[in-house]
Amino acid sequence: MNAETIVGTSAQRVDVKDKATGQALYAADIQLPGMLYGKVVRCWEHAHARVVRLDLSQAAKSPGVVKVLGPADVTRNKYNSSVMDLMVSAQLHDMLGDIDDQDIFTTHVKYQGDAICGIIAKSEEAAERAAAKVIVEYEPLPVYLTAEASKQPDAVQFTPQKPGNRAFQLPEAMFPGNALGGGDVDAAMQDADIVVEDVFYVPKQKQCQMEPHAYIAKLDNAGRLTCWTSSQMPKLVQAKLAKLFELPMSRVKINATVIGGGFGARLGMISEPQACAMAMAVPGHPVKLQTLREEDWAISPSRHPGKYWMKIGLRKDGTPLACDARFENYKGAYYLDASGTAFTAGAWLGGMYKFPALRYKGESYFTNQGLTGAFRGYGNPQTNFALEQLIDRACAQVGADPVEWRKKWHKGVGDDGWCPGVTYPSCALDECLDRGAAAIDWAAKRRKYANQTGTKRRGVGCAVMNHTSGAMPMLLEHTVCTVKINEDATAEVVFACSDMGQGSHTALKQIAAETLGFPFGDVQLANPGSDAGFDIGAHASRTIYVGGAAVKAACEDAKRQLFARASEALQVPADQLDIRDKKIFAKSDPARSIDVESITRAGVYHFIDPMTGKPEGAPGQIQGYVSFFAPHNSPPFGASFAEVEVDTETGEVRVLELVNAHDIGRAINPAAVEGQLEGGIQQGLGFVLSEETYYDSQGRMLNNSFTDYKMFGPSDMPKIKTILVENADPVGPFGAKSVGESGLVSPVGAVANAIYHALGIQFMEAPITPEKVLKGINEKGLGGARERARAC
Amino acid sequence: MKDAAITLHINGEEHKLNVAVNRTLLEVLRDQLGMTETKYGCGTGECGACTVLVDDRAINSCLALAATMDGKRITTAAGFAHFGELNHIQQAFNDEAAIQCGYCTPGMIVKTASLLAKNPDPTEHEIRHALEGNICRCTGYEKIVKAVQKAARTAPGRTVKADAACQEVAQ
Ligand code: FES
Ligand code: FES
Repeated sequence: MNAETIVGTSAQRVDVKDKATGQALYAADIQLPGMLYGKVVRCWEHAHARVVRLDLSQAAKSPGVVKVLGPADVTRNKYNSSVMDLMVSAQLHDMLGDIDDQDIFTTHVKYQGDAICGIIAKSEEAAERAAAKVIVEYEPLPVYLTAEASKQPDAVQFTPQKPGNRAFQLPEAMFPGNALGGGDVDAAMQDADIVVEDVFYVPKQKQCQMEPHAYIAKLDNAGRLTCWTSSQMPKLVQAKLAKLFELPMSRVKINATVIGGGFGARLGMISEPQACAMAMAVPGHPVKLQTLREEDWAISPSRHPGKYWMKIGLRKDGTPLACDARFENYKGAYYLDASGTAFTAGAWLGGMYKFPALRYKGESYFTNQGLTGAFRGYGNPQTNFALEQLIDRACAQVGADPVEWRKKWHKGVGDDGWCPGVTYPSCALDECLDRGAAAIDWAAKRRKYANQTGTKRRGVGCAVMNHTSGAMPMLLEHTVCTVKINEDATAEVVFACSDMGQGSHTALKQIAAETLGFPFGDVQLANPGSDAGFDIGAHASRTIYVGGAAVKAACEDAKRQLFARASEALQVPADQLDIRDKKIFAKSDPARSIDVESITRAGVYHFIDPMTGKPEGAPGQIQGYVSFFAPHNSPPFGASFAEVEVDTETGEVRVLELVNAHDIGRAINPAAVEGQLEGGIQQGLGFVLSEETYYDSQGRMLNNSFTDYKMFGPSDMPKIKTILVENADPVGPFGAKSVGESGLVSPVGAVANAIYHALGIQFMEAPITPEKVLKGINEKGLGGARERARAC
Repeated sequence: MKDAAITLHINGEEHKLNVAVNRTLLEVLRDQLGMTETKYGCGTGECGACTVLVDDRAINSCLALAATMDGKRITTAAGFAHFGELNHIQQAFNDEAAIQCGYCTPGMIVKTASLLAKNPDPTEHEIRHALEGNICRCTGYEKIVKAVQKAARTAPGRTVKADAACQEVAQ
């Protein structure tokens, strides 16, 4: 493949053969000599309880057991499995109030599945047999499943550091009135001709990445702790583990394994602390810790559920005046990421439309549900569900076409994005809306489906979204990349960046080849985990926008050095040189050229001619390096269009077609970008129509299995169309913006609005299940059966 | 736990084994034989990550006791490749960019093989129906369906282009 054309092509994925044959090694696939097996004993009986007695003596005697570990046998240091604390300044850290409130093994169970103790045995079976012999007695405590319950004054306190069980609210010092936004919302609402408001409920969606969490940890004889993990953030996990176990970072090593899907589930740590604590108890032996699917469900953080109040005011000509909102999320048992989603849900809200007055309050309350944390979209689908439905309701009241209203009032170039003061450098949302509308035949179908009376009713809806490319300036955006030029004129890019399956390694390699001017096949990309330079990891859709920019900068550094040597050899100024087919040549006279290899080889195998005493070529291996800080966050935009058919007798909503038109700046690898948008649709449809983890009154999960938790399967998926709107961003590498998270967001609002179009009913609770649809139909008196009887 | 002596013919090779009678085929493949190309996703027959062919039928290996498989011909995703040469199904998954995290991929490929063996020219509806038991959380199935269609078109014997290595493996 010629270097000049590699960016923008669907280059073959670098990992495809390994994955197609099953040879790719995920953590659970790795076998090491002398391996022992760990098992975490968890509390499945209660979601809130104190451990009053723990007797490990029988388990310790069980055949094949090497060691049993209770709370007293591991470090008593507490931790916070999120990495948010490492990504903000000390000042912001204090303001956000991040705390360490997790224990490796706990005596106060706060959710079903909390870790009680650990078994290390010679086989998994032996560990499981021993686990059954652990005797635990509990004193049950009241179970709080919602913020309304846990904020009651007499509720048991989850941690003394957060009185009232409020884990987080937007801090006054940063957000006066504990609210994000500006303008006089109350006065603007008074001026509004039309005010629409409602209370929404957003569900606890699970990432359901197909690879359950698995780890190997080993403390070697030199005292170095190594952890094999599929974390999205190897460098920050290294820092976290070093702090937890009070080890210098030089004695903590993270090996990044192939990742079987992330979607936020591997942001920060899950069971790395338990795996490492076990390894430290048996120096010299690797310990493998694998989780069962139902266990994975309990212990890894889900999307934040909760109540979302929202109110918007408009003039009767449709001019938006004010938006007032409050998202109170059910945080789950521990603090991790309590600040993140509570803030970002409002940030996406503020970044979408030109409301001159905005007030958003975000709060997180501890509950005895399982943990919540990062999930692709990070607060955005929650906001989309509420905001986009209210916009359509308002459009109906002012008589505006939902597409035209959005085109008129969405924010764009020069407006403040999700972070006040950071303006949008590019925006092609109008084109997304136009092309999406054309693809679904918007105008004709809006007319055709108005005033239906049959049993099955169709509707089309649209919704828009904004997201981000990295989290600058709220969070640290730092990536170190080195590129080493081998003596044979090939290159190795070293970067602690995890490819969660989205194909980022391939796209980064494309960026490197294009920048260096090397053939694609001559460039390798290595993720050596924590042995690489610093990087915050794969989150906030940053890998191509920030990581790609870092790879580009490191490659430019290497190329500059290479061209300086060529310039010397050819006696042509460096800025008048070009590279192609492994040769550097004068642009004005391509015959004046030098093989790249002759430069790189002379640099590495650098000899002095013994006869003349003269050196042969310039000395030194060329290495490009950058310690890169992203200058911006160039948000991507997207518009989704859905066509649905609602069966008014069964309440079933069938999505017939979903169009995702996204302003992605530029697609480095179009097939990979389409894959992100297509996969996003499956998760967005789940959020709005079918996915939620349910609990019984005692906080025990009712559906932590793929049979009982309904994801869209191949036959449930609608006809899909993805439209890549390429409007090069002035900041992103080769014009690219992000695409990793955004695909799932606006399908949420588009489907809800299509249902509204079909039935004239809006649903405040997601997922919009058949039961809820039937209830809504009955309340509105749209009896499907009756209607059909009349039609016959 | 008692052991059973069994013989499995896996990807063309004979394995004489003693397996604990409570071990699943998935556990024997992964833990006893180190054939980790077959994945654990749920252990309860709900995700298809562990799909293998037993004779020519696709099954969830997490639900089958290894001891009941004596004398059977087992094919895993690795069995389709021939010294790094992908077969037409694997190649189609590559060409259509149907692989993201890859965790569902070995099961998908095996399931596709069993579908095409029974129905060499499936409709899109039949493909989607056949893949119902195989969950993919990354792709939205769009490119997987296209890959299966391409695999059907490029199956050895159906086009002149099918390469020799693929044919050899398929026979
Ligand atoms: S692991 Fe066998 S079906 Fe999921
Ligand atoms: S590619 Fe990730 S689950 Fe299918």
